[in-house]
Amino acid sequence: MGEVNLTDVRKEYEDVIAVEGMNLTIEDGEFVTLVGPSGCGKSTTLETISGLTTPTSGTIEIAGKEVTNKPPKDRNIAMVFQNIALFPHMTVYENISFGLRLRDFDQEEIDRRVEDAVEIVQLEGMLDRSPDELSGGQQQRVGIARAIVRQPDVFLMDEPLANLDAKLRVAMRTEIQRLQKELGITSVYVTHDQEEAMTMSDRIAIINDGELQQCSPPLECYNRPVNTFVAQFIGSPSMNLFNGQVAGDELDVSDFSAEFDTTTTPLQQGDPVTVGIRPEDIYLADDADSIAHPSRPVTVTVDVLEPVGDQTYAYLLSETDGETTELLMSADPDKDINEGDSIEVVFSRDDVHVFDGRTGDAITHSLVDATAVVDKAAVEGEA
Amino acid sequence: MSDQEYSGLTGRIVKYTIHNSADVYRLGFWVGLVSFIMITLFPFYWLLVLAVTPDNQLYQMGFVPENFNIGVFATVVQEYPLHHYIFNSILIATITVIVCITLGSLAGYAFGRVDFPGKGPLLVLLLVISYFPGIAFLIPLFELLTGSLSILGTPTPDLYNTPWGMVFPFTMLSLPITIFILTTFYSQIPDGLEDAARVEGTTRLGALFRVIMPLSAPGVVTAAIIVFIGVYREFFFSFIMTDGSPENWAVLVYGILNFQQQHTQMYNMMAAASLIGIIPIAVLVIIAQEHIVRGLTAGGLKE
Repeated sequence: MGEVNLTDVRKEYEDVIAVEGMNLTIEDGEFVTLVGPSGCGKSTTLETISGLTTPTSGTIEIAGKEVTNKPPKDRNIAMVFQNIALFPHMTVYENISFGLRLRDFDQEEIDRRVEDAVEIVQLEGMLDRSPDELSGGQQQRVGIARAIVRQPDVFLMDEPLANLDAKLRVAMRTEIQRLQKELGITSVYVTHDQEEAMTMSDRIAIINDGELQQCSPPLECYNRPVNTFVAQFIGSPSMNLFNGQVAGDELDVSDFSAEFDTTTTPLQQGDPVTVGIRPEDIYLADDADSIAHPSRPVTVTVDVLEPVGDQTYAYLLSETDGETTELLMSADPDKDINEGDSIEVVFSRDDVHVFDGRTGDAITHSLVDATAVVDKAAVEGEA
Repeated sequence: MSDQEYSGLTGRIVKYTIHNSADVYRLGFWVGLVSFIMITLFPFYWLLVLAVTPDNQLYQMGFVPENFNIGVFATVVQEYPLHHYIFNSILIATITVIVCITLGSLAGYAFGRVDFPGKGPLLVLLLVISYFPGIAFLIPLFELLTGSLSILGTPTPDLYNTPWGMVFPFTMLSLPITIFILTTFYSQIPDGLEDAARVEGTTRLGALFRVIMPLSAPGVVTAAIIVFIGVYREFFFSFIMTDGSPENWAVLVYGILNFQQQHTQMYNMMAAASLIGIIPIAVLVIIAQEHIVRGLTAGGLKE
C-alpha cells in the first residue's frame, strides 16, 4: 500500500521559502502530477517525499509510516530522474539490479526480477550493454526498469521526459501511463509541461510560489480553476483574463459587458472582478445560434492569425475609448477571417469564469448555471 | 622582393626556412624531444654506468663503461637485505595511500559536494598548511611519535622503529594534495547520480564509495600514485624514525644510505640498489599510466 501524505510541509533555504503549507494526500495507486512554473517548488516537494531533502517543518507519511526524517533508502521509493542518472560505470544489468544487490536479495530472485522488469520496458537483450551504448529513450527505459524492479511503494518521477526529443516524449508519455496503470504503483510526477500533466494524471497538483493552488482531476482543473493562476496555467493557449466590475446585472469589462443571472450568481455591486474566457469559448457572431447562452456581440479587429492545423488562433484587438484589449480566440480554420478584418464575436456565457478582482479566487465558472458557483465555505473547509 | 636579398649562405638558409617552414618545425620538434629525453634519461644512464663499473675503477669512470661488472646487481640482492628494505617501503607507502585516499575521500566529498559555512577559508587553510616544509614539524612530531609528550596526562605512544612512525607524518604531508585532487574530481560527478544511488538504497557514504569514487577512478589513481611515489622516495622522516635496520622498518632510501659506511663508500652498490629500487615504481606507473594521463588532464576540462 503506497499512500503518500504531506502535512504542512515547509522547506526553507537560506533566504527563500521553496515550499510552504503543503498539504497533499496521494491515494494508493494514484498518479498525481505536480506542475507549475520553474522555481515554484514542485521539485523541492518531490525531494522531500524522496528524502533527498528534509523539510524544515511538517510531516511526510508513506504507506502509513512517518518518514519525515528518514533517509531515502528507508522509504521504499524509487525515482526516475530528468538527467536519467544511470551509473555510467555499470552495465544495464548492474544498473537495474543495483538496489536489489544492496538489499541482499539472492541471485535467483534478482535475475528473475530484472528479467521481468526488462520485459516490461522492452529492453530484452541489452543487459550487457553499457548505458552510453543506448539511445536516450532506451536509457530512460533502463531508468524506469531500475525503478520498478524493486517494487517500491511509491514511484517518483522528476521531469523524466524533459531531455527527450518531442516525438519520443509523446511515445514515452503513453508508455509510462500504461505501465503505471498496469503496476498500480502510486506515482508522483513532476513536470512544468501542463499538457503532460493533463494527459497523464489522475489528479494534477498545481503549485505556484511554493504553495499548492489546486489538486483536482485534469478536467476539473480545466473547467473549474480555483483561481486566476490555475486558470492561466492550465489549458493551451491560456485563458483570456480581463479586469472589470459588477454593475447592475452586468459584468462590465472596458470593451464589452455580459449579463449574468442575479439569482444564481452571487456578485456584489461595484466589486472588482477578473473575467476569464477560454479561447475556445469565443465564437463568431454568425455562429451564435449554436450556443445556448451567447453574449452580446463585440466588434474586434483581427490582429494576427496563427494556424496550427485543426484550429486557428486569432489574436483580436478591441478598442474602446482609446484603450486596446487583446483577446485570443481559437477559430475554425475553415472560416474566412483575414488579418485586419473587423469582425463580430460572441462568447458563451455558460463558460465565463469570474474571479475575485482582489484575491484572484474563483467566484463562479458560469454566468448562467447556479451549480457552477464556487461554494466558498466548502473551499475554506478544505483548506 | 628580389632573390638577391637572400645571397650568401645565411641568405639561402633564411630563404629555405621561409619556404619550408614545416621542415623547420619538424626539426625544432626533434631537437626539443631529443634534448628532453637526454635530460630525463641521462641520470639513469649515469647510474647504470656507475653500477657496472668495478669499484676499483670508479675514479677513472667515463661516459662509456670500460669494464662490466654485472655481478653487482646479484651482490646487492644476495648479500644485502635489499628486498626487505623495498618490502618495507612498499608496505609503508601502501598503508599511507590507503589512509590518505580514505580520509581524503571523506574530506573531498565534503569539500566537493556539500555546502557548509566556512568551506572556502578551510580550503585555503589546507592549502597553506600543505606548503609548510615537513622539517618545520620535525621536533614536535619526533617528540609526539616517540612517546616524549603527554596529552592530558597520557603519554603518547612510542612509534620509533614502527611503520606507524612513518605512516603518520607521511599521511600528514600527503593529505592536503590528496584532498585537493579528490575535491576537484568528486565535485564534477553530477548530483543526479548520487541522488539515484541514495534512492536506490545507499547512504551518502555508500554513494561515495559505490558511485562517486569508481566514477572518479582517474583522479583517485592519480592521487594514489602521487602519494605512493612521494612516500617511496621520502628520506627525511624515514631517516629520523628508524634506526636503519630492515627489521625495524627501515625503508629503501635508508637501505641505500647504509652502503655508505664510515670508511667506505660503495657507490656502485648504491647505484645498483637505486636502479633496482626504481623497478616497483616503474611497474606501477606503467600499469596506471592511462589513468594518470586522464587524471592530470581531466581537472582542466569542464564539460
